[in-house]
Formats: sequence, C-alpha cells, structure tokens
Amino acid sequence: MDAQAELGPLLAAVTRGDRAALRAIYERQSVRLFGIAVAILRDRDAAADALQDAFLRIARRSGQFDPARGAAEPWLAAIVRHAALDIARSRGREVPTDDPALGDAAFAPEALDRVASDEEARRLRACLEALEAKNRQGVVLAFVHGLSHAQIAARLDQPLGTVKAWIRRGLLRLRECLA
Amino acid sequence: MIPADPKARDALAAEYVLGTLEAREASEVARALRADPAFAEAVARWEARLAPLTALAPPEAPPPGLWARIEAALDSSATTASAAALAPWWRRLLEPWRLGAIGAGAVAAGLAAVLLLRPAPAPQYMTVLLTDRDQPAWLVQADREAIRLAALNTRPPPPDRVLELWALPQGATAPTSLGLIPPDGRVTVRPTTIRAEPGMLIEITLEPPGGSPTGRPTGPIQFIGRLAPATGS
Repeated sequence: MDAQAELGPLLAAVTRGDRAALRAIYERQSVRLFGIAVAILRDRDAAADALQDAFLRIARRSGQFDPARGAAEPWLAAIVRHAALDIARSRGREVPTDDPALGDAAFAPEALDRVASDEEARRLRACLEALEAKNRQGVVLAFVHGLSHAQIAARLDQPLGTVKAWIRRGLLRLRECLA
Repeated sequence: MIPADPKARDALAAEYVLGTLEAREASEVARALRADPAFAEAVARWEARLAPLTALAPPEAPPPGLWARIEAALDSSATTASAAALAPWWRRLLEPWRLGAIGAGAVAAGLAAVLLLRPAPAPQYMTVLLTDRDQPAWLVQADREAIRLAALNTRPPPPDRVLELWALPQGATAPTSLGLIPPDGRVTVRPTTIRAEPGMLIEITLEPPGGSPTGRPTGPIQFIGRLAPATGS
C-alpha cells in the first residue's frame, strides 16, 4: 500500500479518535506540508504555528474528508494553506516580497516538471503553460507564496487594478482549459 | 455576502482558494462554506484544480519538537472542552452500550479491587476508568457522601508528574478537583461542593507536582468515565 492510499484509512481512524493515526499522518506528510507553509510565510516559526493550527483542524474535521470526492493529499494541503494564509493575513501580510528567488522557481521549466506527477497535474501544467506569463505569475505568486493582490502588484510593478484583472482572467482561462 | 450570480460566486470561490481575499472576505467565505453546500462544492472544485501547484513549494523538514507541541495543544483543547465536546476517542468510551459492557466486565475486573477496599456502604454509583487500550484501570464507587477510587492495574505516572482526580457534574462547565492520587492508588474523598450523581464524569489527568496550579486540569486526560447507578450491588 503506498503512502497516498494509506492516508484515507488513517483519516478515518483519526475520526474515531485514534491519536496514533494522526501521528502517522504527521510522519508521512509533515515535510511536504511544512514546505507548503514555509513557501507562504517565509518564516519557519510562523510556518510551525501554521502546521500546528492545521493539525488541530485536521483532528477536528477528519470526518469531513470523503475519499469519493478527492484524494487525501490535496485535502491536507488545503487545510495547511488556509491555516498559513490566516496567519499571513493576521500579520497584515507584512512579509518581505523582494526576495529575488520568490516565485521565479515557478517560471523555470524544470520547476513545472514537479507539477506533473499524475494526470491531473499534467493537465494543470499544460493549461498553465498556455496562459500568458503575466497571468500565470499572478496565480502562482498568490497560490504558492500567499501574496496579496497589493503585494503582487508591487512585485510586478503594475497597478493594483491591472493585477486583479490579470489574476481573474488567469483563473477563468484555467477553468475553461481544465473543463 | 456571497453573491447570487453564478459567475461572481465562482470567481469568489476561486480567489478564496487562491488566497487573495482579505481577512474579512476570507472569514465570510469560511462561514458560508458550512451553510451553503453548493458554494462549498465550488470551492472544493477549485481546491482540486489548483492542488497540483502545491508541488512547487520545496519540501522542508519541520522543527524537531513540533509534533510534541501539536500533541500538547490537542490535549489542552480536549481537557478544557466540556463533556459534550470531548474528543471522539473519549466520547466513544462514554457511549451507553459501552458503559453497559464495562458494568458487566467490572463485576469480574473489580472483584480484586473490592477486596482491597475497606468495607463501605453499598455504592450507589460506579464506573470503571479504562486505559487507552480499553483495559480496566480504576474502579470508582460513590454514594451521596463519598467517592472512592481504587487502582486495578495502573502504571505509576512518569517521574515529576502526579495524577489528579476530577469530577464534572452534568451541566457544569469546569471540573472540580478531588485531589491528588497517592502512589497506592486508593482515595476516598468526601467532597463538600459537589455530590455524586448519575452521569457525573470522573477523570484523571497528569499534572505537575503538587497538582494543577490553576484549579483546572492542565495536563492530558489519562482516564475518564461516567458514573452510572450500581444496579445489582
């Protein structure tokens, strides 16, 4: 049984109050999930707080995970992302955005290779590559790095309204492309 | 407000998943997710569409002590919760059918313990506190005047920690301390502020030496059970 297949039964065990199952999920997923929180917060202490909040939420909401509606890995990642975004928002998103490496990884061809591990990821990658670069950048900076509209506008040196429109259009195109 | 227009709704769901909403908008959406299944479905579809992008975040090992911190946070949220909001594991122990099974098993499991107890008036209420492996650990017997505790087969607490006994009457929001449990595991308390009654929760927590400094449980719940009428005794 691969790690992904085990997560569903582990979440079911967490719902029955099995603490060891929650720990097993932590052991299998914490390196990936901590990386997701660090990418958003760029601060290991804040990312640790986010992961802690996320695991409390996972313990509370494990009963809401429905394997028929999707895999466990993205379900866990979404909880971690929103926990990290809540912390970023509570800090007024006063995170530095002038890190030159920030987001650039997302535009390198070899980085997109990481978004191609299965069929859904390959489709998303193809659709991202079909977007105009400016639309793709906005989506990636927001989703992967937790930047607000204003931070993306500052980073891309564009008016706020323009950036909002780029992101909105990028999302619409992605939805059409993935339909 | 969550817009009624389908296009605007879907755009809001997308920006929520993307993370670009401001705090106020994001918390409105989070509330709407619980009340509006169709909107929750739209958000779930966006989560699924964008999920592969999480692979762009380089994996990174969390700090070594983080799991211990998470576990402590889980314990404190479970300990401060009211009886109705106990963690599922504990709730499972308190299900009526299980209490029935415990009651029957306790006749055998409790025999040795009953012999250890001084002769006492027939208890009106009793329960058996179980370990996390569902093994009987403590026998609790109570009447209108006293609550008596006897160890069945518990292990001593870790060094520099003590076991503290608590009672939570039904409807109460915070448990009352019944004192520390001595090493021999035998306690008789005659509480003045509360009185044993059916449905009362009895729990044992791990506390620092001298007991909880706050008057409320601060450590993890080690054992828990609910008093039931001691029929047949």
